[in-house]
Amino acid sequence: MSRARVDHETAFLLHSYPWRETSLIVEMFSREHGRVPMVAKGARRPGSMLRGALMSFQPLEVTWSGKGEVKTLHSASWQGGQALLGGIGLLCGYYLNELMLRLLAREDPHPELFDAYAEALARLAGGGAHEPLLRSFELNLLREVGYAPTLDHDVESGEALREHAEYFFLTERGPVEADAKLGDLPLLPGRALLAMATGDFSSPETLSHAKGLMRRLIQYHLGGQALESRRILMELQAL
Amino acid sequence: MPLLDSLTEALRVLPGVGPKSAQRMAYHLLQRDREGAARLAGTLAAALAEVRHCARCNNFTEAEVCERCLSQQRDASQLCVVEMPSDLMVMESTLAYRGLYYVLMGKLSPLDGIGPRELKFDKLVERATDGMVQEVILATNFTNEGEATAHYLGEMLRARGLRVSRIARGVPVGGELEHTDLGTVAQAFVERRGW
Repeated sequence: MSRARVDHETAFLLHSYPWRETSLIVEMFSREHGRVPMVAKGARRPGSMLRGALMSFQPLEVTWSGKGEVKTLHSASWQGGQALLGGIGLLCGYYLNELMLRLLAREDPHPELFDAYAEALARLAGGGAHEPLLRSFELNLLREVGYAPTLDHDVESGEALREHAEYFFLTERGPVEADAKLGDLPLLPGRALLAMATGDFSSPETLSHAKGLMRRLIQYHLGGQALESRRILMELQAL
Repeated sequence: MPLLDSLTEALRVLPGVGPKSAQRMAYHLLQRDREGAARLAGTLAAALAEVRHCARCNNFTEAEVCERCLSQQRDASQLCVVEMPSDLMVMESTLAYRGLYYVLMGKLSPLDGIGPRELKFDKLVERATDGMVQEVILATNFTNEGEATAHYLGEMLRARGLRVSRIARGVPVGGELEHTDLGTVAQAFVERRGW
């Protein structure tokens, strides 16, 4: 059960929506309480202490209370130590936020995912290659919410995947050895799936197969709904 | 639906107006200020019919091209891009800028589905590449959305051979470090410049 008041917890702002004349509804992702929606009263007033502090991609120290579904935010202060995101890093950050908004249930704590998110942001701010980072976060997220894909054995035969064999990935189940009668699913090399299983996205081959596969899995778990941030990232890259 | 209810419902399109306030407004207009109500109805209809976006700066205007864009007093080699008309008004009241403007009427907001198509980036590119503009000054807000907007506009305009600059950020004029928020001080430090 949720306690009435939570003091000084580390959290990230995932998204905010205007609410009434001067307030915001904020979706916070806190380390110990997971995704928590809150009302930030008066946060859109010119002199509000919350105004500058409620910024995405920056670790915040947050105090809130309330027993209902939507809590009341009392204070949020900037913790520091995280450089601002810029350029494509920002768009990747939005994508991570949208994934979490769509896939995380409210008030379900995921401290390990929280740490993985903080690290992903630090690496995005540091200008690290974003593709491996996105793939590894996507996989982490699916595992955390209980949708961990099977990546190490054939779900039909139960045998361990072989590096040099090729597999089809059945969206709802996992890899099966490639068979002509399964139609035109993309072929995935065993070594790429095995690398994904260990979180190793260093090879371009793994990365390119992982991209298609993760997109398919995420789309499936979102019930086919499109991700806005992904569409916009693609539109921006096409400019 | 009775007209009174339709009016209440219609007033709810205003930001921050819920069912209670809408009802109060409707009673007020019909009971206490019928003249004001007629003026409001007339002006609203006229504004809807007449006010449009300036073909050059995208700001609201009644003409095809607004007065500011037609002015001979302004420096046509500089184009300042802002998010909203209110930002333009702030820039104007500084008296620090004599160039022209482009108003985006928004900012990139990926989680709300606002992207380059919704903001009509192509209209800005067309404006900026008129042959007169030499420098584009990006004055979007220093929020994540404003920064993302500035980043992509910058890339797009630079690729078309334009000089692109971004307004500076840091400790406010007359500000003391002790009383400035930590995020601003940290960023001012990161973006320090040679002296």
